[in-house]
Amino acid sequence: MSHTLVSLACHAYGIAAVAYLAYLVRQSDALAMAGRVLVGGGLVLHGVALFELLGAQSGRPVGMAQGFSTLAFLLLAIFLALDVRYRRPVIGAFLTPLAVTVLIPGLLMNGGQSPLPPGVRQPLLPLHITLALLGLAAFAVAAGVGVMYLLMERQVRAKRFGLLFSRLPSLEFLDTLNRRLVVWGFIALSITLATGAFFVASTIGWQWDGKSIATVVAWAVFAAIVNARIFAGWRGRRVALLTMAGFCLVLVSFLTSYDVTSSTAAAMRIP
Amino acid sequence: MELVCIGLSHRTAPLVVRERLALSESRQVEVLQRLAQSPVEVLWVSTCNRVEVYLSAPDGMLARERAVSELRALGGDEALDHLYEHRGEAALIHLFRVASSLDSMVLGEAQILGQVKDSFERGQGAGAVRGELTRACAAAFGCAKRVRTETAIGRAATSMASAAVQLASKVFDGLKGKTVLVVGAGEMGELAARHLQQAGATKLFITNRTLARAEALAMEVGGVARPFEELFSLLGAADVVVCSTASPVPLFTRENVGAVGKGRKGRPLFMVDLAVPRDIDPGVGTLDWVHAYDVDDIQKFVADNAAARAEEAHKAGVLVAQEVARFVKERALREGMPVLARLRQRAEAIARTEVERTLTSLGDGLTDKQRKSIEAMGRAIVNKLLHEPTSRLRAVGPEGEGNRLAGAAAELFGLLEAEMEAADSEASSMAPVPQQLATGAKR
Repeated sequence: MSHTLVSLACHAYGIAAVAYLAYLVRQSDALAMAGRVLVGGGLVLHGVALFELLGAQSGRPVGMAQGFSTLAFLLLAIFLALDVRYRRPVIGAFLTPLAVTVLIPGLLMNGGQSPLPPGVRQPLLPLHITLALLGLAAFAVAAGVGVMYLLMERQVRAKRFGLLFSRLPSLEFLDTLNRRLVVWGFIALSITLATGAFFVASTIGWQWDGKSIATVVAWAVFAAIVNARIFAGWRGRRVALLTMAGFCLVLVSFLTSYDVTSSTAAAMRIP
Repeated sequence: MELVCIGLSHRTAPLVVRERLALSESRQVEVLQRLAQSPVEVLWVSTCNRVEVYLSAPDGMLARERAVSELRALGGDEALDHLYEHRGEAALIHLFRVASSLDSMVLGEAQILGQVKDSFERGQGAGAVRGELTRACAAAFGCAKRVRTETAIGRAATSMASAAVQLASKVFDGLKGKTVLVVGAGEMGELAARHLQQAGATKLFITNRTLARAEALAMEVGGVARPFEELFSLLGAADVVVCSTASPVPLFTRENVGAVGKGRKGRPLFMVDLAVPRDIDPGVGTLDWVHAYDVDDIQKFVADNAAARAEEAHKAGVLVAQEVARFVKERALREGMPVLARLRQRAEAIARTEVERTLTSLGDGLTDKQRKSIEAMGRAIVNKLLHEPTSRLRAVGPEGEGNRLAGAAAELFGLLEAEMEAADSEASSMAPVPQQLATGAKR
C-alpha cells in the first residue's frame, strides 16, 4: 500500500520535474502551476505513506530506503514552501530532479525493513532522526540554490546573456535564500548533534567513527559559514561553495548512519 | 459579415497626421455612433502610434467608404495618403498582431494590449462593438496573452538606460531599498536616473563636476545632488553606480574602488559605465564584489536581446497564425451550424414520417423487436446519409470554403428560405446567408 503511494508520488515528482525543466526553457505560468500542483499532490500521497509507515515504527524511519524516502519528502516540502512564498518556479528545475534522484533509491531498496531492536527505543530518537533529515534536506536545498548562484554568477561575470541569465533569479535573491536555509539547517544540525551525542554517551560511550567525524566536521563548516556571514560579511561564491562542501559532509554522515560496519550503528542494533 | 481594417500608424504616417486623428474619448464615441448603425459594428483603436477602424459589416465596401469619409473629415485629404487597409482574414491577422504588440514601434511593449482593451470597452459601451467584433477581440486578447506567456518578446530591453536597469536586476533582487549613485548629469545620466527611479531605487544621489547641473537634475527626478568631492564617500554607500561623464581618464580604478571596499563588508556593487572614453577602468571588474559593465557589454546585451526578439517575434507570428486559424474555423463552424441543424431536422422528420407510415401499413402483426428494428433503420439511414456532409462542413477551416459548402447544402436541400426566416429573428450579428469573404490586404 505505502509502496504504491510512494511510487505514485515519485511519478508525480518526475512529471513535475519535466514541467519545471520545460519552464526553464519556456516561461509559461501554466507549466509552473502544473509543477506546483504535481509536487503538492505527490507530497500528499507521499505524506500519507510515510505517516502510515512511520506510525507503525514509533515515528522513526528504519533503513536507508526509508531514510531516502523521508529525505526526498522533506526536500520537496521545503521547496514547495519556498515556491509558494517567493514564486520563483525556476528553482524547481534544479530541486525536483534532485528530489527524484534521492527518492528512486528509496523506492528500489524498499523491502529491507528490519524489526526495531529494543535497545534503541529512546523516546527522543524520532526527534533526533527527523531533525537530522530536516537539516539534511535544508542543506540539500541550500546546496541546490548554491549551484544556481554559481551558475548565475558565471553568467554575470562572463557577461553571457543567454537562457540561464534571463531565467535565473538575481544573485542577491539566491544568496539571501542560501543564508536562510543554512541558518535553519544549522539549527537542526546542532540539535541533532546534541541529541546524538547524548544517545551515544548513554549507550556505548562516545567513539570517533566515520559518522561522528563527518557530522562534527560538517557542523564546524556550517558554524563557520554562519559566523563568517554575520561577522565578516562573507557572501556569494565563497559561501555557495562552502555550503556545497558542508552538504557533502552531512550526506556522508547520513549515509554512514546506515552502514552496518559503522561501530556506532552496529552497536545501536545490538541490545 | 466582412471584417475590414482601415487606418494609419507609425509605419505609414508622420506624427503630425496621427495627431490630427487623435480624438478625445467623447469624440470617439460620437464617431462610433455615426459609423455603427446596425448591423455594422465598429472598433476604433487610437494610440499615439496608430488610429485604426475595424468594421464588421454585411457590405464591407460600403462601410469602408463611410469610414474613409469620416477619416477625411477628421484628418484632411493628407490623411488618406497614409491609410492602409486589410480585409477578411488579413484584417483579423492585423488585429491579432496589433494586440500582441507585434506591430508596435517598440516590439513587445506592454501598453498596447491595454489600449486595445480600452478601445474595445469604449466600443461596447457605445453599442458599436457587438457579437462579431466581441468574438474577434476576445480571440485577439487570448492570442496576445499566449504571445506574452509563451514567447520572451515582452522581456526585451529597449534602451541603454533600461538595459542597465535590467542588468542591475540580475544582481539585486529589485532596486527597492537600494542606494543609487548617478555620476554625470548629462543626457545619458538623466535617462539613467529616470529609469532607476522608475525601477524603485530608494535613494538616488546625483553628482556632477558642476554642482548646479546635478541640482537641476535632482530636482527634476526627485534625487539628492551632492558635490563631486564626495564621490568616494558616496561610492561607499552605493549599491548601483551609473556613470556617464566626459572625463578623459577613468574616474574609478581598481585601487580607489578597492579602498572603498574595506568598509563595505563584501556588499556587492553594480557599476555601469555609459561613457566613452570610459569612466571605469576595466581592472575594477576584477574585484570580487564589483560587477562592472561598460558600453560594449550593454550593447552586447541589447544586441542579444534584439536577436532574441527577432526570434521571439517569429515565434509570436506563428502563434498569431494559429490563433487566427482557430478563430476562423470556429466562425465557419458557427455559421455552418444552422444549415447542418436544419438539414438534420428536416431529414429526421422525413424518416420519422416514413417509418410511421411503414409501421401502420404492416399492421399489428409486428413484434416489439421488429418495430424497434424498423425505427432504428430509419435513424441509421439519416445518420449515414448525413455523416459525410456533416463531417466535411465541420472540417473545412477557411471561411470561404466553409461558407460555400454550407450555402450549397442550404440551396440543394431547399433550406435557404427556412434559413432566412429563422435568421431574421436572430441577432443581427449572425450571418443569415453564408457569404463569400474577400481575403488579402492592400495598402
